[in-house]
Amino acid sequence: MTRYILQRLALLPLLMLVYSFVIFAIIQAPPGDFLTAYVATLASSGSSLSAEQIAAMRAQYGLDQPFFIQYLLWLQHLIHGDFGLSLEYQRPNAELIGDVLGLTLALALFSFVLTWVLAIPAGIYSATHPRSIGDHVLTIVNYVGVATPNFMLALVLMWVAFAYFDISVTGLFSPDYVDKPWSFGRFIDLLQHIWLPALVLGIAGTARLSRIMRANLLDELNKPYVVTARAKGMKEWRLVLRYPVRLAFNPLVSTIGWYLPLLFSGSLIVATVMNLPNIGPLLLRALVNQDMYLAGGILLIYSFLTVVGTLLSDVALALIDPRIRVER
Amino acid sequence: MRSSGFIRLSVAGLAVAASLGFAGSASWAQDKYKDAPSLADQVKAGKLPPVSQRLPENPLVVPVVDSVGQYGGVWRRAFLGPADSNNYVRVVYDALFRFSPDGAKIEPKIAESAEPSADYKVWTIKLRKGSKWSDGQSFGADDILFWYNDVLMNKELTPTLPGWIKSPDGTAAKVEKVDDNTVRFTYAAPATLFLTAVANQDGADRTYAMFLPAHYLKKFHPTYTPKADIEKMAQAAGFKSWTELFANKNAPPENPERPTMAAWAPTSRASDPVFTLKRNPYFIGVDKDGNQLPYIDEVRFTYFADVQALNLQAIAGNFDFQARHIIMTNYPVLKEQEKAGKYKVITWPTFGGSDAALAINQTYTADPEMGKVMANKDFRIALSLAINRDQIKESVFLGLGEPRQPVPAPWHPYYPGDEYAKKFTDYDKDKANKLLDGIGLTKKDGNGIRLLPNGKPATIEISVVPAFASWPDVALLVSKDWEAVGIKTIVQIRERALHFKMRDSNELMAEIWNEDTTAFPYTGNAKVDPRNSPIMTIGPAWLRWYATGGKEGAEPTPEMKRIVEIVDKARTVPPEEQVKLSQELYRIWADNMFEIGTVGLTPMVQGVVVMNNKFRNVPAKMGNDWPLRSPGNARTEQFYFAK
Repeated sequence: MTRYILQRLALLPLLMLVYSFVIFAIIQAPPGDFLTAYVATLASSGSSLSAEQIAAMRAQYGLDQPFFIQYLLWLQHLIHGDFGLSLEYQRPNAELIGDVLGLTLALALFSFVLTWVLAIPAGIYSATHPRSIGDHVLTIVNYVGVATPNFMLALVLMWVAFAYFDISVTGLFSPDYVDKPWSFGRFIDLLQHIWLPALVLGIAGTARLSRIMRANLLDELNKPYVVTARAKGMKEWRLVLRYPVRLAFNPLVSTIGWYLPLLFSGSLIVATVMNLPNIGPLLLRALVNQDMYLAGGILLIYSFLTVVGTLLSDVALALIDPRIRVER
Repeated sequence: MRSSGFIRLSVAGLAVAASLGFAGSASWAQDKYKDAPSLADQVKAGKLPPVSQRLPENPLVVPVVDSVGQYGGVWRRAFLGPADSNNYVRVVYDALFRFSPDGAKIEPKIAESAEPSADYKVWTIKLRKGSKWSDGQSFGADDILFWYNDVLMNKELTPTLPGWIKSPDGTAAKVEKVDDNTVRFTYAAPATLFLTAVANQDGADRTYAMFLPAHYLKKFHPTYTPKADIEKMAQAAGFKSWTELFANKNAPPENPERPTMAAWAPTSRASDPVFTLKRNPYFIGVDKDGNQLPYIDEVRFTYFADVQALNLQAIAGNFDFQARHIIMTNYPVLKEQEKAGKYKVITWPTFGGSDAALAINQTYTADPEMGKVMANKDFRIALSLAINRDQIKESVFLGLGEPRQPVPAPWHPYYPGDEYAKKFTDYDKDKANKLLDGIGLTKKDGNGIRLLPNGKPATIEISVVPAFASWPDVALLVSKDWEAVGIKTIVQIRERALHFKMRDSNELMAEIWNEDTTAFPYTGNAKVDPRNSPIMTIGPAWLRWYATGGKEGAEPTPEMKRIVEIVDKARTVPPEEQVKLSQELYRIWADNMFEIGTVGLTPMVQGVVVMNNKFRNVPAKMGNDWPLRSPGNARTEQFYFAK
């Protein structure tokens, strides 16, 4: 097992190198660069730079260099653990990402926990009471949850909150706490704001998860060992939770790995719409403004999380299911 | 009448300065000055010198719009992050001279006065004696000299000199210190537009303002601090070179430590979730009762990643005064929610020009036959006549504004007259058809599309960027009108960077953008001057022709050459003659349909203002334009909240 993990980890740097090239190439693919985007931003608010000024800035930012030189320079910095400087913010990228990482993680974990806490019991209930009223209600809710894009849901909820309850739900803090240092009051304020975005982010996942749980569990419940256990007089809830539920978990655990990066990137549009101060809007703006080193840095982190997440779910799978072993 | 107001443009500073100056020093004893309660407390605690010592000997007396205000309050605004630092620039308008609220005059702000020599070659700027930076250090001629000698003349910091500091022969003006509070600018040729340029040297667009806190920035400049030390600092902050560090240290939105002269100085960064400005205890302005300005304690810019989320907050009444990023198409919703949101919506029309102008490429080469047609003046006139502007006005601009060609506003001295503003704007399909027949496009295909001499259908593509949301709609309406007179029209919506790239490489046939530079054809990056970077695709090959001294590109038409001649001449002639030349320029502009205007004078560009019901001293009518730094020209320091 240890050997297997080490092997996988040894592959990591090579994978990251490949990813870094792909990421850089994709970011550079659209026409124009940061300055084109900057000039466009200026133009849409009435001002404009002269051709000489633009050329001078392009040289200053090193954007006049050929593609490969730019990539190699970036790589050289990356190897030294330096994510470079954001063109737009004029601050180190590591610092910018670090600033939003805490809230991004908090929101991601909150919605992750919310997803599982809601989805698993709902899935178990549906499977153990198939075609009951409760099952049908949950099924309908689940289909709506899966079918509605979550940014749409966010917009609708925001409008309802504003129009009928007169509360504004953008951001994670009320204006009094946005720029204050951490305190108990600020924490409570965060809790008051975080549940709605977490719910919006989690709802599609919840629906999908509980559908999978229901299907898996239904398969298991009809297997002979369940019948045997029941015949031997085992208590129903104890039986269900102890054996079929555990097995029904397997396919879900294998998807945990995907959740890690998904919870970051999945929040991109929702976070932008709801004006959440997490990594989503930072990435979206970096991409729109072609702030390439910032966008590249964030995407590299995503790739890293994907690789690590897959590894983690493989390990978790091996831990909870003794039947799974590395083949030699 | 109209022109007399604007003639004062370049000399206005003097008259106003003189009158304010007298009022300032003569009518009050020094203890008559009062300051905000928060500052008075600090004075009592001994943390701050008394207000009379913080103000210059002769403070700027700012006229109030309605009444003398009350101190206090937080001005809530929104912004879109660091790239939106011009949002800050517009609120503080931190300049030596500034435009008046109507945009017709230039008045002293940080400086006390400016005086030209009789031939306009020498300008003498006087600063206010005893004025101070926001950190309490004294402000004076040395701060301008530091900018000139160490920033402007430093090749690393300023690779190319900006146009306004150069004479037509390319030489830079000489800048000398006369005394601690007086600076003299000497040009090789008359510089009548000097003050117009100075009124915009406020550090906008990540440039250097013409006055810099020398005492602070010397720490980051190799002339005053060992270069190795600065390079070390730059590296520690993640910068590649000392110039990047210097630029960063100089930008108030990126560095709250950097002292400013504005009414409010930053206390956080534009890259923070909330960008906060707090009152500058050393601000040089007072009201007529001697109350030190600003009235408002604090300005808070809340960060929004998405402009629609920002608009939702505006509808909820969460901003106190904001026009920037308010989308004009939200005007009806904003109006509807006025009562619930406890705000008022007012509109400021654009400062002339056209809010959706069609530029037809007159040097298009990819399709030579069509290119020849597009270069024909009658073709462009026909296209203008074929457009139903009233329909565009009603359906795209919500009935606001008026059909017009891209010329200055009627209240502007450069206005060439109604005859030109309305030229070829009548919807007249018959006349358009006759003109098109006249240039030989008589044969038609089965769909009624006119055929070029080579037998291909006459086709024009309008490239449009959804930058102000409504341009694609304008393009679609125009395409219907043009097809009705037999010109096949394709509307191509493009991503802006691609559009810009195609514009630069002469690949666009036609585009829609706004013509917003008619009020300032000689400063900044005016669209009438083909030598500016192609900011409208009127004749990209003309730019090439001028840039290569006539070796490459296409030779401009005689009319275009005359425009260039006027632009060069107007910079050096006295104001009266400048007005005459400008009117001629816009007559040529409209006569030749270099650009086809649709609708203008709408509040499209930052003209829909959402204003808290308690917000006071906002002028009802105001010049709204980027060079005026609106709302900066409304003298934001005298805004206040009624209790």
